[in-house]
Amino acid sequence: MPIFEHGSVKVEVDEDGFMQNPEEWTEEVAAALATTEGVDELGEEHWKVIHFLRDYYQKFGVAPMIRKLCKETGFKLKKIYELFPSGPAKGACKVAGLAKPTGCV
Amino acid sequence: MKEIDNKNTDLKVEDFSKDSDRLLELTNDDLMPLPEPLDDKAKSEPPWKPLSDSAKEKYESDLDNTLLLNIPKPKSKEEEKKYIKQFLQGLEKLFTKENNWVFLQPFKLTMEHCTKCHTCSEACHIFQASGRAELYRPTYRTEILRRIYFKYLKPGGRFFGRWQHGDIDLNWKTVARLAELSYRCNLCRRCAQACPIGCDNGLVAREIRKLFSQELGWATKELHEKGSMQQLRVGSSTGMNPEVVKDNMDFIDEDASDITGMDIKTPWDVQGADILLIHNAGEILSWPENPAAFAVILQAAGISWTLSSEALGYDSVNYGLFYDDAMLAKVVIKHALAAKKLGVKKIVFGECGHAHKALTIIADRILTGDLNIPRESSMPLLRDIVMSGKLKLDPSRNDFPVTLHDPCNMVRMMGIVEPQREVLRKIAPRFREMTPHGVNNYCCGGGSGFAIHSGHNFVDWRMKVSGRMKMKQILEAFKGEDSSSETYKYICAPCSNCKGQFRDILEYYGLTENNGIHYGGLVELIVNAMTDVKPGFIRAWEQ
Repeated sequence: MPIFEHGSVKVEVDEDGFMQNPEEWTEEVAAALATTEGVDELGEEHWKVIHFLRDYYQKFGVAPMIRKLCKETGFKLKKIYELFPSGPAKGACKVAGLAKPTGCV
Repeated sequence: MKEIDNKNTDLKVEDFSKDSDRLLELTNDDLMPLPEPLDDKAKSEPPWKPLSDSAKEKYESDLDNTLLLNIPKPKSKEEEKKYIKQFLQGLEKLFTKENNWVFLQPFKLTMEHCTKCHTCSEACHIFQASGRAELYRPTYRTEILRRIYFKYLKPGGRFFGRWQHGDIDLNWKTVARLAELSYRCNLCRRCAQACPIGCDNGLVAREIRKLFSQELGWATKELHEKGSMQQLRVGSSTGMNPEVVKDNMDFIDEDASDITGMDIKTPWDVQGADILLIHNAGEILSWPENPAAFAVILQAAGISWTLSSEALGYDSVNYGLFYDDAMLAKVVIKHALAAKKLGVKKIVFGECGHAHKALTIIADRILTGDLNIPRESSMPLLRDIVMSGKLKLDPSRNDFPVTLHDPCNMVRMMGIVEPQREVLRKIAPRFREMTPHGVNNYCCGGGSGFAIHSGHNFVDWRMKVSGRMKMKQILEAFKGEDSSSETYKYICAPCSNCKGQFRDILEYYGLTENNGIHYGGLVELIVNAMTDVKPGFIRAWEQ
């Protein structure tokens, strides 16, 4: 599997850039992964999305419904796209260190 | 491309075994033209993303621009020989009834009786969209396998087979390329329908996938490891266990109640219900308006129905249909067991094409005795409800252009053609057909599970090549309408996989943002027309 390197961060990712071992995630890793999304600095709103995704993932082992993410964070989908240009699944979930969503989603 | 000059038209069967570079490298210039607003390729066609050097170094990538299977390069000649041997063993099994209990007869007929008239090539959307690239001709892949079959499996084939049927060198390149090439077909089987003698090149592609999966353990991780295996382990290919799925449906019920003004409650595990409804679980995560609309309709029509929280009982996905008979059978049995446990009268599938085919037609050979529970499409049920007068409907609420996509598994392969159209004629005053449609439809381009694959640069191929013919049909269906985003236009696609493809391709070409083309299922349109529901059901979920 490819290795993603940025500064002092070095993690294994799949061919879509998602972390292979989500348990190795740290905030520093998130900041590094965000650069692949064209986000140079993670602000308070980014972290709100990231922390919700992480918490949900740790509890249920799967990414939340996008609609749930919007409701819980209070951000409209358009806003999520502004924060993470590739969108909630390919962008936000990747930065939050979740595995790539599976099945017909 | 040094070795093959005119790659599109000059590629020969013999080239497939050569130790050469890629056999085909498509460019935007090669692609079939599209109508407005995508008629100017220089403006509308994104550049092809190249395969990364690390991918090329690690995986066998000598076929074309992209990669799905990720076959690691063998470390030694011995390893290559081992795979070639396994391939031949697997091929032999495909021709015995003990090992190929599902598809032996049509497979054998196709191997032995093609007249090479190429009627199928004209019917294949991938061949046409690629600008008639020889590599994607439906008979090209089959011809490789046919020559191997006659030369290496038939008695005396090494002497007579190659003279009668053409020679081929079975080496590592042949095996690796053939595996990858079996994933350049949507398995839509439009070619089989066009063939005057019933040869089925789509089936051949599927059987090659099966050979590699069952004999060598080669399948895409999306279909196998993260698909079928995860589904059998956790309960759903999405990774949702029963607790999560119920939590998500509770959330959808709440949302649906807010949006419709009705009190929506999804019934769970109702013993003895008339109908067990099984959705593709992807709907629950990505298109919650679809299970919500089903709940609204069934509740309003007073139908006795239930969802199941048994593992697999809430996810109709069966990716085995696309690549592996053993996985297919395991999943089918779990579906039937969930229905048996509840003692329902029948299973009804939500809007998922491949689940229809897997659990009705193919499962006929698997489900016997008390597992042979009646299994039906939701399309006739929805037609009956809409026609019964139980729902109060105001078609003027759907006063926007609507066209209908025919999911291949449900329509061409099962003949479920009219019920969804009867519904649309009643509730969508500006409904128009695509050309061609019904059993002659074209695949969305995401068929055979492609819609869930986006590794490396595969999205480019899926949008530009396999999705191209459908995009042409859609743009033609809306021709004459205001093409700006001011006019809302709707592709009705009653299939999760097709919806995934439409979501991606509309975004890829900016067709929603710039041209107002949206997509969704059939049930959403029905609820959108219900006068007991607050106006604007479809738009409310897009917020």
